[in-house]
Amino acid sequence: MSDLSVAACLVDTKEPAGKPDAVRDGSFDIGSITRRFGSPVGLILPSLIFALWQTAASYQWVEPVFLPAPRKVLEAFWLMLTKQDLFFDFLASMSIVGQAFVYGSAAGIGLGTAAGLSRKFEQFLGMTVDTIRHIPGIAWLPLIVLWLGIGAPAKILVIAKSVFFPLFLNTLQGIRSVEKNYIELGQVLLLTRRQMVRKVILPSAMPNIMVSLRYSAGLSWALVVVAEGLSGLEGLGFLIFRAQGLLLTDQLLVCMIIIGIIGFSIDRQMYALQCRILRWQQGFKG
Amino acid sequence: MGASGKLELRSVHKQYAVGRNMLQVLSGVSLDVGPGHFLSIVGPSGCGKSTLLRLVVGLDVDYGGDILLDGNRIAGPSLARGIVFQDHRLLPWLTLEQNIGLSLENSDWSARAKADAIREQITLVRLSGFEKVYPHQLSGGMAQRAAIARALINKPDILLLDEPLGALDAITRIRLQEELLRIWSVEGTTMILVTHDVDEAIFLSNEIVVMSSNPGSISKRFTVALSSPRDRASSGFIELKRQILAELHLYQQKTEAVEDCVDMAALI
Repeated sequence: MSDLSVAACLVDTKEPAGKPDAVRDGSFDIGSITRRFGSPVGLILPSLIFALWQTAASYQWVEPVFLPAPRKVLEAFWLMLTKQDLFFDFLASMSIVGQAFVYGSAAGIGLGTAAGLSRKFEQFLGMTVDTIRHIPGIAWLPLIVLWLGIGAPAKILVIAKSVFFPLFLNTLQGIRSVEKNYIELGQVLLLTRRQMVRKVILPSAMPNIMVSLRYSAGLSWALVVVAEGLSGLEGLGFLIFRAQGLLLTDQLLVCMIIIGIIGFSIDRQMYALQCRILRWQQGFKG
Repeated sequence: MGASGKLELRSVHKQYAVGRNMLQVLSGVSLDVGPGHFLSIVGPSGCGKSTLLRLVVGLDVDYGGDILLDGNRIAGPSLARGIVFQDHRLLPWLTLEQNIGLSLENSDWSARAKADAIREQITLVRLSGFEKVYPHQLSGGMAQRAAIARALINKPDILLLDEPLGALDAITRIRLQEELLRIWSVEGTTMILVTHDVDEAIFLSNEIVVMSSNPGSISKRFTVALSSPRDRASSGFIELKRQILAELHLYQQKTEAVEDCVDMAALI
């Protein structure tokens, strides 16, 4: 069961990483959905699901050990928060994701920009990057754990790697698709190379970069759960797999709900950031 | 500035490689534009008039012959030559004032002097109040006025206008023609306008050059001796228009035109 869910998670998160276009399209749809999610209409479906859950639990359609009642889950949450280290585990996960996201995206944008500006550098990196990209982060984990141990650094490295590639590819693509007209304008205005990058090339690539930032933020949050489940003794991912082993379904659900809510709020914040940075864009608002 | 802005073209040639063949785009173009003059270039599509402007602005330095501005051969872009493109080409991520300020990126002015200059240009093109607006929020005419301000802020000796009003509707175009005349009278910059619109050329310029294609060359030069402001419906205006259209092989004898109308009526 646990193998299956890990595998499903890997397939889910790995596939779009290699296809910037798919990321873009997918994200556009998510964008319009989250925008609507802000209105009360978005609350209808969660309420229905909750009602169904409550009903199923009350009438015991499913055995309580497999589907505990919402009340039991709430009690488990309180127990984990007060008597156990839920908050500490949450922080551990957040800190890994935060660091991995910052390192991975900084490297991705930096090297992506360099490769975008210089065809030579792109050719130099090309083969290596495209090969490493196709070895999933989780396949790196066992080796990296041998090197760095089961602590945070191994997980940070693996997740940073998964954040790096969407950013690298989208930054590169974004720079390559800068309109030639704008470059020509920069030449007429005698912009230096540096000014051209700062004022023309990077802003023009920014929509691509923002989309992949948002995508990788979600991806890294999903991956931390897998990475913690596979190695280490703390974090939400560890709690989930421990709860499964001990058949503590209520605790398992607590972790799942927290992961969902945090993932949701990460995405909303990234989306708000994207809207702020790209406020100059006039897009189809649905 | 007064005496600067004299442009001389000495038998300018330009060719492109198209596959294995060389395509002659410009052939033997010679032209003098005096400082402070307003010259228009009209001609059919593909006669090389936009190519000519690209050479003058310095975006393409691979040409034969000489292009001299105040006696110096053009060897690349310079802030002494401003250009307004057909598309306004404002950067969508910069506000109006940032777009205009982009021209001052390399000036050694103080921040204050820059801000003053930007404000002055915005007033000149009558866009005050829109400083913080992004290009997508501007109408086509406003965006083109901003592009003119961006080109003028460096006080160029010569301003090149590559069909700047071509994409605008007829009413906006007439307004902006008047605006251009006003700006020209204020700034006294040498202007070279490429256009398809013969009325526009007569309304704005001192001189009009008609180009023909295959290869692009100057077929005739007209001096506009009409008093300004020009009356688009005056007989002198219309006579000159007739001559220019005839030079472009676009003018039909009146009798033929009437017959055409009759034919059309019969068809309808």
